[in-house]
Parts: sequence; C-alpha cells; structure tokens
Amino acid sequence: MEAGTTTSHADHGAHDHIHPPPEGFIRKYVFSLDHKVIAFQYFTMGLIFMMVAGSFGELIRLQLTSPTGAIMSHATYNTMFTMHGTAMVWLVLIPLVTGAAGNFIMPLQIGARDVAFPWLNMLSFWILPVAAIVLFSTFLFGGAHAGWTEYPPVSLADGTAGALWCVAIFLVGISSTMTGLNFLVTIVKMRAPGMTWTRMPLFVWATFATALMNMIATVALSDALAALFFEHVWNVPFFDATRGGSAVLYQHMFWFYSHPAVYIFILPAFGVISEVLPTFSRKPIFGYKLIAFSSMAIAILGFAVWAHHMFPGGLAPWLQLPFMILTFAIGIPTGIKIFSWLATIWGGRLYLTSPMLYAMGFLITFTFGGITGVFLASVPADLHEHGTVYVVAHFHYVVAGGAVLGFLAAIPYWFPKATGRLMDERLSKIGFWLFFIGFNGTFFPMHWLGLEGMPRRYASYAAFAATNPDAVFWNRFETAFSFLMVASVGLLAFNVIWSVRHGKLAGINPWGARTLEWMISSPPPYYNFKKIPIVLDRPYDFDKPLPYRNLDNDVDPYPSPIAAVTGVKPVGAGA
Amino acid sequence: MAATTVAQFDGHDAVAVRYHDVDPVYAETRDIRLLGFVLFLVSDCVFFGAFIFAYLYLRVSAPTWPPVLNGHQLPWFDTAFAALNSVVLFGSGVTMHFALENWKHLNRRKFTSWLIATIVLGIGFLLGQAHEYSLVLKDVSWWGTTMGASFFTLTGLHGFHVFVGVIYLTTLLIQTNRGVYTGSKYFGLTAGTLYWHFVDVIWVALFFLFYLW
Repeated sequence: MEAGTTTSHADHGAHDHIHPPPEGFIRKYVFSLDHKVIAFQYFTMGLIFMMVAGSFGELIRLQLTSPTGAIMSHATYNTMFTMHGTAMVWLVLIPLVTGAAGNFIMPLQIGARDVAFPWLNMLSFWILPVAAIVLFSTFLFGGAHAGWTEYPPVSLADGTAGALWCVAIFLVGISSTMTGLNFLVTIVKMRAPGMTWTRMPLFVWATFATALMNMIATVALSDALAALFFEHVWNVPFFDATRGGSAVLYQHMFWFYSHPAVYIFILPAFGVISEVLPTFSRKPIFGYKLIAFSSMAIAILGFAVWAHHMFPGGLAPWLQLPFMILTFAIGIPTGIKIFSWLATIWGGRLYLTSPMLYAMGFLITFTFGGITGVFLASVPADLHEHGTVYVVAHFHYVVAGGAVLGFLAAIPYWFPKATGRLMDERLSKIGFWLFFIGFNGTFFPMHWLGLEGMPRRYASYAAFAATNPDAVFWNRFETAFSFLMVASVGLLAFNVIWSVRHGKLAGINPWGARTLEWMISSPPPYYNFKKIPIVLDRPYDFDKPLPYRNLDNDVDPYPSPIAAVTGVKPVGAGA
Repeated sequence: MAATTVAQFDGHDAVAVRYHDVDPVYAETRDIRLLGFVLFLVSDCVFFGAFIFAYLYLRVSAPTWPPVLNGHQLPWFDTAFAALNSVVLFGSGVTMHFALENWKHLNRRKFTSWLIATIVLGIGFLLGQAHEYSLVLKDVSWWGTTMGASFFTLTGLHGFHVFVGVIYLTTLLIQTNRGVYTGSKYFGLTAGTLYWHFVDVIWVALFFLFYLW
C-alpha cells in the first residue's frame, strides 16, 4: 500500500502551522483550546459527578435494606433514583466517553493537531458545569421525582424543579450535539495523509459512529425537553391527554434520543476494547472491517429500535412486531464484535495488565447484559419483565458493566500517555477486582428478583417481600456488595492523584502499542505532532514494522511488549 | 495574499478560480468550515423534524382536525395570505441566489442591491407572519389546543430562524462594506446563502403541512 492516497495535507495546509502554546493560567488550564486539556477537564468533572451520582445510588441501596424503606421518605427516594439516573447518564457517561476519551484519544490517533473547531470544543465543555448547577438546583425546589426519563404526566407535578430539569438536560444536549459535529468534521477532514477510512484505528471508527448519533439524535431530545418545558411553564398541551396531547408522544421523542444514547455510551467503550485487546494479546485485531462496519450498523440500526422501551406503554400491536425484530437484529453486529474480540485474544500471548483485566471483565459483563437485552426485546417476555428490577439488572450490566468498565480500561491504558507516568499497577488490579465482584454481587440477584416480580423504583417492597421472603436477604446482599464498587472508585481517584506525581515514568510507548498516539512523547506536546505523520497501513499488524513515515521521534519499528515496565509475564497459548 | 487574489482574477472568469490553486491553506480551512456548517444545518433539520413528527402524531391521533375547543369548532388557517407571504420568502431565496452569483462575478454593486432586497423581503415575511399571528390568535392560542401548540411552536421556531437570518445577512452587508471578504475568500457569504435557502426549504414543508394538508 502506498502513502498519501487520499489527502495532500503533508506538504501544505492550515494545520502545518504550529501555534505557540498559550500563556497564563486561565488560557492554559481553564479556558483552554487544547483538546488534551479539555479532555482532562471532562475527566475530572465526570469523576466528581460519578461520586455524587454514585452516592445517590448508595442511598437507594441503603433504603432497600429494609422492605418498608430504611432511611428516607418515599418522596426523597423518588428524587434520589431520579437524580442518580439523570446525573449518571448526562453528567458522567456522556462527558466521560465522548468528552474525555474521545477528546483525548481521537485527534492523537488520526495524527491531527487538534479538533476541527477548538473554540466550539471549549464551549461544549463549559456548558456542562452550568447544566450541572441548574440540575442540582432542582433540589432547592423539591426535586424531580419522575425518574431519569421524566415521563409526563407524572413529571408535570414536579413544577419548577421539573422545568429546571428540562433546562439542564437541554444544555447538556446542546453541548453533546456540538461535540458530535466537531468530531465528525475532525475525523472526515483532518486525518493524517495516507490514513484512509479502512486504516483508521478502531477507536476512531467507534468515535465516528458515536458522533453521528450525538449530532442527530440529541437534537430530538432537545425538542422533547423544549416541549415539556413549554408544558411546565406555559401549560402548552403537547403531552396532556385531557386536552388532546399524548404522553406516549413524549416517550417516542425521548427514546428516539435515549435509545441511541445507549450506543453513544457503549460504542466508545467498544473502541477502547478494540485497542486494548490486540495490544495485550500481541495479535492483529480479528475482523478489522467487520468491527468497523458493525459500529456503523449499530449506529444506523440504533435509530430504528427506540419503541422497544414502550411495549407496555400503549404502543400499537402492529408497531410492536417490527420494533421487536429490529431489536433482535441489533444483536447481530454486537455479536460480530464479541466474537471478533474473542478471536483476537484466542491463542494470543496475553499480558494480564490492569487495562487487559478490565477489558476481559468487560467481555463477560457486557455479553451478559447484551443477552438479557435480547430477552427484553421479545414482546411477551418484556410485558412480564418491564418495570421490574430485571430491567435494572439489564441496563446496569450494559452501562456500568459495559460502558463504565470499558472506560475504566481506558484510564490505566492512556494515563501514561496523558501524564507521562504509569498508574500504580497493583492498585489498579485491586480496583478491578473490587469493581468486578462488587458489580456482579450488586446486580446479579436482580435478575431472579425481577423475574419473581420485584418492582423497580419502589421505595417500599413490603408487599413483594411478603410473598417472596428471600427478597430481603438478597437486597441486603446487593447493598453490601455495592460498597465494593464505592471502594473501587475511591481507590481509582486516589490512584490517579497519587500516580500523577509518583507513578513510574512511562516513556513514549510503555505498552508496545502501535496506534499514532504512542509515537509521540508522553505527555504529548501542545501541538501533538511537529511533523504530520504519513500512514501506510493499519496499526494492528504486530509482526510487521510500524506503518508510519515522517515521525517526530525515533521509535522502535517493532514496539516490544511491556514486561520491562510492569513486570507482567505473558500467559496463554501464544506465550 | 488577499489583495493579489482579487486583482489577479478581476473579471468574469473569477468563478473558475479553484481555491486550491490560489491558497491551499485557506482552501482547507474553508472545507472544514463548510462541512461543519452543513452538519449544523443537518442537526437543525432534525430539530424541526422532531417537532414536525410531534405535530403529525397529535394531528393524526386527534378525533377531529381542527380540534374542537369548548364545543366550538376551530377554523382552518388562512391559506391565501400564507401563500402570499410564502411568495415573499421564496422570492428572497431567489434574490439571495443572485446576490451570491454577483459576488462571485465581482459585481459589488449588484451584489449589494440583491442582498438589500433579500433583507427587505425577509423583514417583509416577518411582518406578514406577525400580521397572521394577530389574526390566528383571535381563535387559537398557543396554550389552548394541540393545534395552537404545534402551529405556534413550529412557525415560531421558523420565524426565529428567519429573524436570525435577517441579522446574519445584515452583518454580512456591513462586513462586505468593510472589505472582510474578497473575490475568492467569502465563506461567510456562502454560509449565509446556505442558511437562507435552508430556512426556505423548511418553510416549504411547514406551508404544506399547515396550510395545504
């Protein structure tokens, strides 16, 4: 394959010009235009809100240690699960997976000096703290009660708090849309010369599919929120059934965004896994094109399955069938990915470093959550399981066991690139086992509790416990295990802060990885690449020399594995 | 660079200038901005699209349309006046097209006249819409019925877009007077034209859905 087949950025171009780094604290660290600093801002903010929203979750768990509700009033409980979901989705997951991971990794992996519109990128970030203030100000007005979906007519009883909730999420939506647009233009227009579409790293493919959904689907959510806001404030009848409106309409508009949002969380995690597994298996990724195109298939199919969230909610029967079949169909591209990953590690020389542990944990929990999703897609089964904690188990396996675990794999993997130092390997591994055991202990029992009929979102399950006495034991079991996850996140925060100062020096390429970000110094300079590199091939062929020309540094053409850095010895068939 | 570019390609052949030949750095920046702007319009399209979906949903599921309020059958909107107003808006699309073409051919004076005509027609459309609102409000309010809710939300959103467009075009008028754009570097004008045509196209859909259906 020859170089420079697509673009001619190498000889001349707007991005050939290196700007001097900004001076002064404010321009450098607060209102920075640098995608790496913005990613760090997203990361810090996301981690803080993860602790806040996680503590809401712990309050939910504590309440359920007693079937009549242990610690708070029912109204407070409603606010807690509402805010837990809202903050986790919009202030933790979306900012972490697109804002932090996408911003830091994607421009480096395509050999760009920054995103297409750095100023817009800065604006996207700074909208979020404002949105967070508006969101948490709902507590001052009695709190939102209707769950993270805020379905009318229940949410219309929230008054001012409900209206402010709409404003907050509308702001997050604007930020998210702008990030999606920014990333799309960056990936389409600013790849290094020679990086054709089928030479892009798989994380970039995943970010591309994510950005597409971010840009299109989020706008529909904005409409739903605007309409709900109008109804809150001016009593405009969109959703009020007594005046010709329709509450089901809100559900359509909401899920047209919020189902793709699930893929917005999970696709970047897929991208992370597709980078981590080949690096630590020392094998080319299996089925590059299939993984790349299945990301796009998920993105496109993801727009056509939203109503499977509404089967018991008054959806016409003739509509249920196509939505059921399309939802089954989305299991196909997802299955392609799972099998490709398994084939990637099959017979490999596995280095069980902490990112690899997280990635393999991801394979287990995400596959599990995916399979329960197929059960839920079936209309008859869904009518039984909908509104039970079975659904809670399913989406936590997909979101916490999928998106969050994938992101947790990304942290120790790219931390050395971002800071120049490795995270403490032992603490990371302890953190993984705490999270993995705690997570499964918390959510696994919900499967059979849900099938037995334990309702979700109930502050008191005394009626259910009367017929199912074991429910009390299992709920206490779940609560106990959930604190292992708290310990894991606390350990992660400590590890990050400690390692920034005291971690082992990482060097340019501690893992022996092959994508472009590992060809520049750690941390990368302000301009990323002094000379824009030329890409000759895909980055995953571990038995061939590196497919790059025009690199800034002298790098080993066959980057060696990481044993020297971490002391980890390879295992597996290829070792 | 800018000054030489204009002098070099003075005359009617200026359209044939390819950005890449003149200034590759600018060409790349322009490509990036153009894609960004087009994607912005795509997402804006979805913003209208989801509200249009809401309107269709409410209208199709209503027992009667126009709905009945307090036992009183609401009237249809006045198609004749809206058609007249639409002609004003579509006319402004035509004048905007001529404005950009004249800019490309370096006819500054004609460009300015066509652009002013566009702005005047845009303001005319807004005044027409205000007049129509005053008539409609006699029977239908924003918060009274689903008909009012969807009509005022969608046409109001569109009117807001026209209002922003008028301000945008006025800014372009001032900028061109100050010499911000040249014969080969005029991305702001391209974007303004795209935006204005986009607002026109949205109105085609709204006119059909509210007045003809």
